[in-house]
Amino acid sequence: MMNSTIKITFVALIFCSALLSADTVYAMHISEGILPFSWATLWFVMALPFVAYGLYSLNKRSREDLSFKPLVGLMAAVVFIISCMPIPVPFAGTCSHPCGTGISGILVGPAISVVITAVALLIQAILLAHGGLSTLGADIVSMGVMGSFAGYFTFRILRSVRVNIAVAGFMAGLFADWATYLMTSVELASGIKGEAAFLPLFWKVLIAFIPTQLPLGILEGAITAGMVVLLYKKRPDLLIKMRVIKPGEVTMQKQGMTALIVSFFIIGALLSAAIPAGAAKWTGVDEAVIEKVAKEHGREASEPLINMEQGDLPLFLFLVAGALGGFAAGYYWRVLITEKSPRVNGGKEVITKRK
Amino acid sequence: MILSDYIHNKEHWLSRLDGRVKLLVTLIMLVMVLSYQGLAFHLLVTFLCLFLCWQMKIPGRVFLLRFSEPVFIVLVILFLKIFFSGGEGIFSTDIMGIRITAYREGLAEGISIAGRIIAAISVMAVMVFSTPFTELLAALSWLRVPKAFIEILMYAYRYIFVLIEDAGVIYDAQKNRLGYAAFNRRFSSFGVLVGSLILKAFEHSQNITVAMVQRGYDGNIPLFDQKPFRSSEVFVSLLFISMMGVVWTI
Repeated sequence: MMNSTIKITFVALIFCSALLSADTVYAMHISEGILPFSWATLWFVMALPFVAYGLYSLNKRSREDLSFKPLVGLMAAVVFIISCMPIPVPFAGTCSHPCGTGISGILVGPAISVVITAVALLIQAILLAHGGLSTLGADIVSMGVMGSFAGYFTFRILRSVRVNIAVAGFMAGLFADWATYLMTSVELASGIKGEAAFLPLFWKVLIAFIPTQLPLGILEGAITAGMVVLLYKKRPDLLIKMRVIKPGEVTMQKQGMTALIVSFFIIGALLSAAIPAGAAKWTGVDEAVIEKVAKEHGREASEPLINMEQGDLPLFLFLVAGALGGFAAGYYWRVLITEKSPRVNGGKEVITKRK
Repeated sequence: MILSDYIHNKEHWLSRLDGRVKLLVTLIMLVMVLSYQGLAFHLLVTFLCLFLCWQMKIPGRVFLLRFSEPVFIVLVILFLKIFFSGGEGIFSTDIMGIRITAYREGLAEGISIAGRIIAAISVMAVMVFSTPFTELLAALSWLRVPKAFIEILMYAYRYIFVLIEDAGVIYDAQKNRLGYAAFNRRFSSFGVLVGSLILKAFEHSQNITVAMVQRGYDGNIPLFDQKPFRSSEVFVSLLFISMMGVVWTI
């Protein structure tokens, strides 16, 4: 068990260093030839019903609106460009690229978003050797199906409980990205495992993705939120046309955001109330496993260099935190408390902070 | 790099071959490469394809860029397989107190996968460097790929270049206004850039529709007319596939 943990940590460290040495990493797509024939065929078979349903929906909607097919084609071009744009990933010291399927799922629905992704992936495979023809099925399943459906349902569920459109957009982008990488790890591990067991290799691949994809998911969430808010501010009519928002919802739902924050506090309070009762019965994993095994092998744990459980150190730290927090709250109190008021400027309504 | 399909050598004999024949040969070769267990066939295919690319006088930079991502992935997979898969060790070493062992079976499997990837990428490179994108679309249409899918491919391919130009203009404007100077501004600018691209996509789609409706567009674009196959091309391709099939079975 310990050996396996050390190995997993080691492989993660090696991958970090590999990523540090690469200028740009296109880790989203599975390259041509990685998957053996049987696995490549399986992923094609899995992708086909989604693409077929997407094409059916596309034909149906384009009969109602002649501009829909050109729009979907242009969305495919946008997804192509987004997923070719290298963006810097902090902590990993490298570049990766967002999926763009979260936003396409939100705008045109998950089924048509699968078609959009398939088109973008096919062009990337042909022009850029980014992904491949033989791995197109696998890439459609991870990026198109998982990304689009995760993004769409996250957005819809959050909006149905009246969460702010920016927060819903952020979460949709985040989950679309993470779901894509989860599926890519499954596909990659199953494709290259050979005679070895699936799960250990799956964890190694997943851990290898974490240094880049964990922060990238958060960045993609922020970018998706930025896109949704921009569309909401500039062209709400388009969001109404694409059935993203209802005609009555043209103002930001501040109460939704408040409800989200309050619910987080309530969940946090309930957890903190529940955990001590249960935690008292169990020892932590550090004590139960690591310290016990180390003691058995004659390496008993020593006292920590900084012992937080003794003296007034926690009190001192709380004092410093309180002073800093109080200073920040005092400095920003106007931003927190004062409401934004609309002001008319040259016939156009603009939002400005009250001085 | 995005214009790599314009780099194809029009004078080369492969460029004059029918796109449908090339696509079919490519797909059959891919199936052979993916299903082959070993290294000899992969090496032969890679050598043959690289020779054809060299004959087509593909610029070195374009060629290297095309192969850079797969080669990086090959290295990662080799590393994973050699050090984490297998039972019989080749050598062991201690790094920072951790014992690292390279396994014989992992090495063999890793080399086999690496050969498969490089061979498959080489096959695709030959097809792409010898075929314009529109010819590929015509071949896909002949293969009975749904018409709506081909139409979306056509729109996307046409407007990628327009949107890249739009993105360049917006990016320059943002950069000139210090939009990428600080970490948080960088991401906010990137969000605005992509959002603006979506707005541009909406605008372009409306304009295209108006222009096409004025020219009689009813929701369907007439696709490509297919010429009959040339018997010599079909014969040569069948001969080539049979020869490769024989090598594949050995």
